[in-house]
Amino acid sequence: MTRSLAAELRQLTAEVIRMGGLAEAQVVDAVDAVVRRDVPLAQALIIRDLRLDTMQSEVERRALALIGRHHPGEADLRRAISTLKLAMNLERCGDLARNIAKRSLVLSAGEPLLPLTGAIERLGRLVSSRLREVLDAYSAGDVEPALDVWRRDGEVDEHYESLFRELLSMMSTYPDSVAAGAHLLFVAKNLERIGDHATNIAEILHFQMTGEELVGERPKISFQAPQAEAASS
Amino acid sequence: MPDTIARAGAGPAAQLILELLPEPVLLVRGGEGETPEIAYANQAARDVFRLELTGAPLGAALRRPGVLEAIETALATSTSTEVSFETIGVQPRFWRAFARPLETEPGKLNELVVVLRDETDARRTERMRADFLANASHELRTPLASLAGFVETLRTHAKDDPEAREKFLGIMAQQANRMARLVDDLLSLSRIELNEHIAPSGKVDLARTIQDVSDAIRPLTADREVKISVKAAANAGSVTGDRDQLVQVIQNLVDNAVKYTPRGGDVRVDLEFAATLEAARASSRSGVSLSLLSPDAGDGQSYVVLRVSDYGQGIARQHLPRLSERFYRVEGQRSGGTGLGLAIVKHIINRHRGGLTVESAEGEGTTFSVYLPRVVPQA
Repeated sequence: MTRSLAAELRQLTAEVIRMGGLAEAQVVDAVDAVVRRDVPLAQALIIRDLRLDTMQSEVERRALALIGRHHPGEADLRRAISTLKLAMNLERCGDLARNIAKRSLVLSAGEPLLPLTGAIERLGRLVSSRLREVLDAYSAGDVEPALDVWRRDGEVDEHYESLFRELLSMMSTYPDSVAAGAHLLFVAKNLERIGDHATNIAEILHFQMTGEELVGERPKISFQAPQAEAASS
Repeated sequence: MPDTIARAGAGPAAQLILELLPEPVLLVRGGEGETPEIAYANQAARDVFRLELTGAPLGAALRRPGVLEAIETALATSTSTEVSFETIGVQPRFWRAFARPLETEPGKLNELVVVLRDETDARRTERMRADFLANASHELRTPLASLAGFVETLRTHAKDDPEAREKFLGIMAQQANRMARLVDDLLSLSRIELNEHIAPSGKVDLARTIQDVSDAIRPLTADREVKISVKAAANAGSVTGDRDQLVQVIQNLVDNAVKYTPRGGDVRVDLEFAATLEAARASSRSGVSLSLLSPDAGDGQSYVVLRVSDYGQGIARQHLPRLSERFYRVEGQRSGGTGLGLAIVKHIINRHRGGLTVESAEGEGTTFSVYLPRVVPQA
């Protein structure tokens, strides 16, 4: 059965979107698993991660077959290569989400750390919505929202940095919390890395849609040294 | 079905009706080995997904794996299905998707209508309830744990150390006070909520009430060397209200302002007359302004506006919308309050059919403005 290049590319794109949907759901669920101490959710998520791996190899296989069969021209070749790169980034997001879920299992066995789960949830929401925005941009074939994600790269770092400080101060004040705190540090770090993948995806989309690379440093926000807490009643 | 529509009288308007429905509607088409595509999306769907959906793969609108799979299965087997899911973003939303197959001729692609219903409000209420319980118990637990810890210490290490004993007893008294305040606030919040739909009927002279509150709060202000200056416009007039509750409103707002005012600073309380709702809502200082509560506009209703301003460090924009949430605290600020003060203020004002706005500029300070329906003077 021979099918047109356009139809195959469309199907491949739909496949990557589906993969994106799964990766996105894994991240959202991982954050929920930590925040709501939802053990069954975490367990289901860990098993589901296998599917992302399978989907990635499937996308790779099909993209390579497509390129081999059709020798697409410049723009189409970029779209095909994009699917490869996106699949890789999405699979990594899935791995990080699985790691968060595994840690949530440990965290759920201990005492809740309420004020911090709030901060984790905010960071998680932020990261998930960036992933959602780049995937929306991909579905819509619109480069502008992706660029917006790229430009706001510093926001995630800012949240991560403040959470990091909060965790350190908690661990030094309450030695009992060190075990859980260490897991939360990794959860936060993983979320920050998922944010990085979202930014990568934004760069990939920009290249796919314009043929030009995004040059220059990602905009960063510099951090001031934490100010001494004002004495208050 | 077309006959039914014709008989029911919708006729050619049917299409327009579909387009104008407030709920997102998608027509999905697909078949063997084909990626399902969106054949039509009404205005609401295009707005929600911010996409030109026609011709896009189904995944462009509904990516969530469980949803996508359920709809694909329904499409392949021409069956109905229902699935709920959450979209994330600045404002997370909860949706329920209803998929119903359309009759198509043999050999043609299968078609499915997907209608989305927004169930955010119901879910949010449920979530808030759960959060409230979790937060309230957490807030109570912290001082309790500290009390238990000191009791333990007093029984063991500090048993024969009078100096440590004095110090610990002081801290314990503080923690017990904190718990008492929290329980008081919780009780008063629940009382206010019980009566929230019963409008108050008394007549209150706000200018006098402000004076009473600022007298009562003097020990606190003297302690912090903060000066409260009150300015009441002569034409401000009286409001319909429950005096005790309005005292609580003024007290909570002034308390907050004093807490966020540096030593030796000023807090201003102004009372003004506003002829209309617009005038009552108008901004009074530079910075971001946000309405936390807004009444239904009554025709020709005039208002009395109470403004409490501090010149402290101000509140960052992202915190403003959440200020009146229970137990919400601006990060990095330890006011020592219960986290319920503004929630109480908001509920009282709501009972009074009034409104609440906050204006803040970082580094310049914050103003809370309360406006309450003014009693029309008898001619």
